[in-house]
Amino acid sequence: MIVLSLFPLFLLVALSSLTYATSDYHESLTLQPLPQSSLLASFNFRSNASQESFDERNFRHFPRALGQILQHAHTKELHLRFTTGRWDAESWGSRPWYGVKEGNTGVELWAWIDGADDQECVQSSSDPCSLDAYADEDKRAFAKWITLTQSLSGLFCASLNFIDSTRTTRPVASFSLAGDHPASSNLHLLHGTLPGEVVCTENLTPFLKLLPCKGKAGVASLLDGHKLFDASWQSMSVDVRPVCSGPDDCLVQIEQTVDIVLDLDRSKRPRDNPIPRPVPNDQLACDTSKPYHSDDTCYPLEKTSEGGWSLSEIFGRTVSGVCPLGDSQSSEETICLRVPHERGVAVSEGAVETRKPDGFTRCYTLQPSGAFDLVMPEQEATTHVPLDEPVLRAERTIVGHGVERGGMRIIFDNPSDTDAVDFMYFETLPWFLRPYVHTLQATITGRDGIRRQVPTSQLIKETFYRPAIDRERGTQLELALSVPAASTVTLTYDFEKAILRYTEYPPDANRGFNVAPAVIKLGGHENPIYMRTTSLLLPLPTPDFSMPYNVIILTSTVIALAFGSIFNLLVRRFVSAEEAAALTSQTLKGRLAGKVVAIRDRIKGKSAKVE
Amino acid sequence: MSPYFGLLRALPFLLTLFASLASSEHTSNWAVLVSTSRFWFNYRHLANVLSLYRTVKRLGIPDSQIILMLPDDMACNPRNVFPGTVYSNADRAVDLYGDNIEVDYRGYEVTVENFIRLLTDRLDEDVPRSKRLGSDAGSNVLVYMTGHGGDQFLKFQDSEEIGAWDLADAFGQMWEKKRYHELLFMIDTCQANTMYTHFYSPNIIATGSSELDQSSYSHHADNDVGVAVIDRWTYYVLEFLETQVTSANSKLTLGDLFDSYDETKIHSQPGVRWDLFPGAEQEGRLRTVVDFFGNVQNIEVENTTATDPGSLKEDLIEIARLVEKWRARDREYLVSQNDSSLRAGNDNSGLQVSLSPHSARKNFEPAKMSQEAPWEKRLVGASVLGICAAVWLTGSILGRSSV
Repeated sequence: MIVLSLFPLFLLVALSSLTYATSDYHESLTLQPLPQSSLLASFNFRSNASQESFDERNFRHFPRALGQILQHAHTKELHLRFTTGRWDAESWGSRPWYGVKEGNTGVELWAWIDGADDQECVQSSSDPCSLDAYADEDKRAFAKWITLTQSLSGLFCASLNFIDSTRTTRPVASFSLAGDHPASSNLHLLHGTLPGEVVCTENLTPFLKLLPCKGKAGVASLLDGHKLFDASWQSMSVDVRPVCSGPDDCLVQIEQTVDIVLDLDRSKRPRDNPIPRPVPNDQLACDTSKPYHSDDTCYPLEKTSEGGWSLSEIFGRTVSGVCPLGDSQSSEETICLRVPHERGVAVSEGAVETRKPDGFTRCYTLQPSGAFDLVMPEQEATTHVPLDEPVLRAERTIVGHGVERGGMRIIFDNPSDTDAVDFMYFETLPWFLRPYVHTLQATITGRDGIRRQVPTSQLIKETFYRPAIDRERGTQLELALSVPAASTVTLTYDFEKAILRYTEYPPDANRGFNVAPAVIKLGGHENPIYMRTTSLLLPLPTPDFSMPYNVIILTSTVIALAFGSIFNLLVRRFVSAEEAAALTSQTLKGRLAGKVVAIRDRIKGKSAKVE
Repeated sequence: MSPYFGLLRALPFLLTLFASLASSEHTSNWAVLVSTSRFWFNYRHLANVLSLYRTVKRLGIPDSQIILMLPDDMACNPRNVFPGTVYSNADRAVDLYGDNIEVDYRGYEVTVENFIRLLTDRLDEDVPRSKRLGSDAGSNVLVYMTGHGGDQFLKFQDSEEIGAWDLADAFGQMWEKKRYHELLFMIDTCQANTMYTHFYSPNIIATGSSELDQSSYSHHADNDVGVAVIDRWTYYVLEFLETQVTSANSKLTLGDLFDSYDETKIHSQPGVRWDLFPGAEQEGRLRTVVDFFGNVQNIEVENTTATDPGSLKEDLIEIARLVEKWRARDREYLVSQNDSSLRAGNDNSGLQVSLSPHSARKNFEPAKMSQEAPWEKRLVGASVLGICAAVWLTGSILGRSSV
């Protein structure tokens, strides 16, 4: 399909995973400089526990806190992702781990949950339980799912408990089991995302605590929240799956990864003074050939050399030894670097370098104890590690204007000139965004730039659709799409925005509402490639939140006015000023004069007033 | 005669001394630290809470016994030039976020409902331990709140508010449910002292930053952070805690803490309420600061031979019984699982039977949409319409003829 130059690396990882499958703990770090002075650091930690010891709650390297949650929630396979930032595929190429270890912006969770009933039903295998309708099983799986999200929210300090029925979906074709499960097991896939969730140090802390060495030794000692959350893009993942080599020979495997793209210049700033200051005049690299070059004008010279960096500079720490828990740690190549072989690299004493035949990879075996640092001096760049092109580019935006309606536009671009791309497109929409599926339209733009409207059936092979129910569940749309070679496909559909109830608005309603990114799955079940679009912000019609108070104040005023005047009319007598004076005066003459005035008024017919 | 008389006179004093010693015993410490403000310009409220979090952690309360509520994210906020960091002082000496922090309630979870549910433990059974206040009749609880408030209310996230009565009732219920032994309530907000006026449950000491109609002010701003970083009252409380209470063995009392309030520095009149505490101010002042901020663990020894309900022996027997029960269940479960896997492996028909419920699945899972011939549908629609029209016509004709 496309030359995957990163492939050898991942083959290497896959091979090492096979060789070390017997070992209980394995960790590795791969560093790869990317264009625009970025650095991709991929951390990988893997622990195994035998299925028997896991079932007996006998945990060694497998984190007990997570193991107990999984057992309690009957979860057979778990995938949890914390991601921030945007992967810049234009300049960084395709994603690490083929996007398999990546998640939506925010938090994404999917799990396969055993919907089978608890022991009571297994015991009495005769009827009511074994014959139960699928609905019951589904309900049970959902209840376990809620238990799982609640427990994980406590473990990972994230608001995972907000994954309720409105955010839960059951994808049909976009996700497949990564582990080996017994054929008889009746597993339910549930998927939920929180696109607006913040990922910060409090999520990293429990993540590191799951590791056997707790981030105190080994490559995990590099992970520092201050650098990690300053990255251009970062993704943390936790995957738990059973791996079976035989019918009775099963392992429960937990794999944790952290992938970060660090901006080298930004990471090198000292932590106590991170604000960039202007470069002093005498340190500026100016193009002196420009005619306007002078003391106060400078045309910046493009750097031809690659900037130098070291681990201690960009992570603020050095690797402190090797996590001593792995059995074969002493002979393991823990840290790999992807730079051309001619690039000079200095490492701490004691580390053994191995160069791989691909010409771009070198790996280091670390000393069991003692700090490890890696220094890349500044050097003129002659060759670069080739980055592989992404197989597909996808972009998803909300179009339209006004607060009542809008539209979604998804653009798929196939860069290949020869091959069509087939993939699954999966999106979940919140219930307050109501799509009109009949407005789904497709246009194809070839390399010649001519747009052609085509019937959607020409591109969409299959459609799985579950409409939303207000306040109960969101829309789920899965499309099997095919984009022809050298063309760009644009899908559009219209939607309507619902009006929420007053109490349903979050405290920062005017910020907009997050719409989860779409997930794109390419390839088959064996080697899938995943991509995710960016998350969207949907502005909804928001009321003026002081309105209830205005209404209360206005209503009170109206009531007070009405009540006051009616009360006045009922209890007061209205008389003219002369009458009042006469009535209040106590003398006989005055009273008489008053009477006279009253009689005169009556004769003249002016007695309309209430007396 | 006279020595006896002296002893008699001293007896009540000794008795009260013993009584006070006995009542000051607590077996655990809990802290509930709440910031109630969202948005970047309220950075100082989160810094207030995080400073307190650092202090109670320094004095020994573990993360599992601290409930931290942060309604917004300041550390990883894009506006923060110091990523992953929160400072409460312009000298930026202490990074409050650090490397090891556990936030129990964050973002939209910080609501009045969740706060009251937390205090009164009216939570769903699925809610994990880290999000529960597991205090009991032997726990000293520190409740610290900060945000924007007014006369007898405190705003939560600019969208709702908790009233002084709500808070008083929540504490009242805590007392009835034996969820605290002694409670120290601290609040830093405008007109803070009005928030504790309605408390009625015993054993509460309350202190606030400002009187009715007084504002609580921020202490200073950091020019690089760009906003105020701490409030005045919290700043001076922390100054006392950080400089005077240097270890968990500190003998400084709450009296010392409250005497350290300096109105000229705080720019408002802090208040203290003692009357709910047994022995009022006199006794309350003697409580040490670490009774609430530290983790002093006095162990309650029970008579192990006793068999009355609630005794240790009875509990142990019950636990042993539970363990036995679960083990038996596990064994049965494993056996049944093996059976079912064997069955599935033996014949394919069994597999098909187990798969048959999948057909019922369709009403839950997304339906697969298929292309339909529109003419059929149109025909059906037209015929239905035609039938309706015919019925209407016959109806109208019959109706006319009958008249």
